Amino acid sequence: MNWQVDVTGSRFEWMSEDELRSHQLEALKQTLAQAAKSPWYSDLFKRIDFRPEDVKSLEDITKLPFTTKEDLRLSYPDKMLAVPREEVLRMHTSSGTTGKPTAIFHTREDVDCWAELMARCLAMVGATSRDIFQNMSGYGLFTGGLGLHYGAERLGMWVIPAGPGNTTRQITLIRDFHVTVIHATPSYAMHVAERMLQEGDDPRTLGIRIAALGAEPYTEELRQKLESLYGFKAYNSYGLSEMNGPGVAFECQFQNGLHFWEDAFFVELVNPETLEPTKPGEVGELVMTTLRRKAMPLIRYRTRDLTRLIKGECPCGRKHVRLARMVGRSDDMLIIRGVNVFPSQIEEVIMRNAWLGGNYVLYLTKKESLDQLTVRVEMAKGAFDGSIQTLRERRAELQRQLREQIGFTAEVDLLEPGSLPVSEGKAKRVIDERE
Amino acid sequence: MYNEVRVFVENKPGKLSRVVELLGNAHIDLLALDVADEGQYGVFKILTAEPDRARQVLADAGMTVAFNRVAVIEIEDKPGGLIGLANALERGGLNVTEAYGCILERGKRALFVIKGENLEAIESAASEAGLKSLESLK
Repeated sequence: MNWQVDVTGSRFEWMSEDELRSHQLEALKQTLAQAAKSPWYSDLFKRIDFRPEDVKSLEDITKLPFTTKEDLRLSYPDKMLAVPREEVLRMHTSSGTTGKPTAIFHTREDVDCWAELMARCLAMVGATSRDIFQNMSGYGLFTGGLGLHYGAERLGMWVIPAGPGNTTRQITLIRDFHVTVIHATPSYAMHVAERMLQEGDDPRTLGIRIAALGAEPYTEELRQKLESLYGFKAYNSYGLSEMNGPGVAFECQFQNGLHFWEDAFFVELVNPETLEPTKPGEVGELVMTTLRRKAMPLIRYRTRDLTRLIKGECPCGRKHVRLARMVGRSDDMLIIRGVNVFPSQIEEVIMRNAWLGGNYVLYLTKKESLDQLTVRVEMAKGAFDGSIQTLRERRAELQRQLREQIGFTAEVDLLEPGSLPVSEGKAKRVIDERE
Repeated sequence: MYNEVRVFVENKPGKLSRVVELLGNAHIDLLALDVADEGQYGVFKILTAEPDRARQVLADAGMTVAFNRVAVIEIEDKPGGLIGLANALERGGLNVTEAYGCILERGKRALFVIKGENLEAIESAASEAGLKSLESLK
């Protein structure tokens, strides 16, 4: 295999099972050889006495240990870089629990491959170069914006890089340029619809026919509600920055599981406790190996995402394995407004304010379809000094620190010491009342 | 100067009942009770002749309680009774950040409770206007 890119992906997309496995084996060998060029994996291979050339079958991958989010942090900034620095074309980062980011690198071929995978997703649901595409996702270090952008351009769509927010302008652009395909978080799509309905406007009149929805979990009910409000078909998108970003798996027009691009990623499903492979149909943690990324191969990466695999040919004719709807996360990460938030990040802020006690609850609700986070936190015993001014200043400062840490504004409820229930063992820190 | 008792409470029904029941059961007489509503939370300001005991009773019941230093100025309970004090504060260029009043004897004596940046200056301005600052309410 070479690192070349197929614009339509047709040479991968309709492969027979045998062709796909033999492509995967070749790609795996090449990926492992490439990984050995990075300081991180070269050290690892030496430590466990592993030689990429000894790989004879796909099953041999289990001789290698998993790569975890913690490994990505430890390898930060560039110990997993497997190409000379001048070959790097782009990097993305995602925020970590400790505030230390993880970085993912791409060569030109990698960026092209990512665009191809994304273009295949859009083409799969019937988008063509005649469509006008409005991307309402955030650009920048977050992969959702640029990932969809490059994919849509690769398909030859007319791309409007609107970015998130400014709802009035979003509606104006959709209407004035006859946008037919959008990309948004489900909650933002709902927010736009509600705004239009409030103003006596009908989202159906926009004429959008396809929506790619992702970056946060949502229910089948919400998808159907959005489809009936707008009159479009809404497709689930799955991706994670470690595996480029969006373009890992996407629904086809049958909306029956997300087609996983097995030519670009090798997928395993393991029990998150025992790390043994799951039985067919069982829920497990997704583990992925990049097969077509040169700058930064990742081997057996534990995604923490829990799902089931659907095997067998889809009515659309594709034979790639499909992902069922995500069941949740194997750790405690919250996705709030499409942003990854770990309770530990918030705890860290609380802990550095001595006037607060250690007891807190994260309360999640929906307000006009947007996620709302309220941090309910007890004050420390003796911290109340009788001054209302002090309370106001402290509350405002806490809000500022939280915003700095998680990137959006949270409500803060100050509570009397001892007012939260003290539970035995692990405290229940998260109350999620989003539907 | 005088110790006003302040209680921090989450803004939800039942908090006021809890405070007045605790004080009532301990036979503590309230001269005045003011509520500062800050939205999600509130602060009760309690004026009583027995601030130490009130604080202890509330703290023992697990309430979040603190003293707050205030000036308590005695004025006449009659129409215009506050004018002398208000003028004295104005002459001294003194700012009042929080204040409330209560009657001690109907038609005779009232109290005006002031929280400000400079309580000493407030008390001496009152004194210059011939008004008494109380150190005890017994």
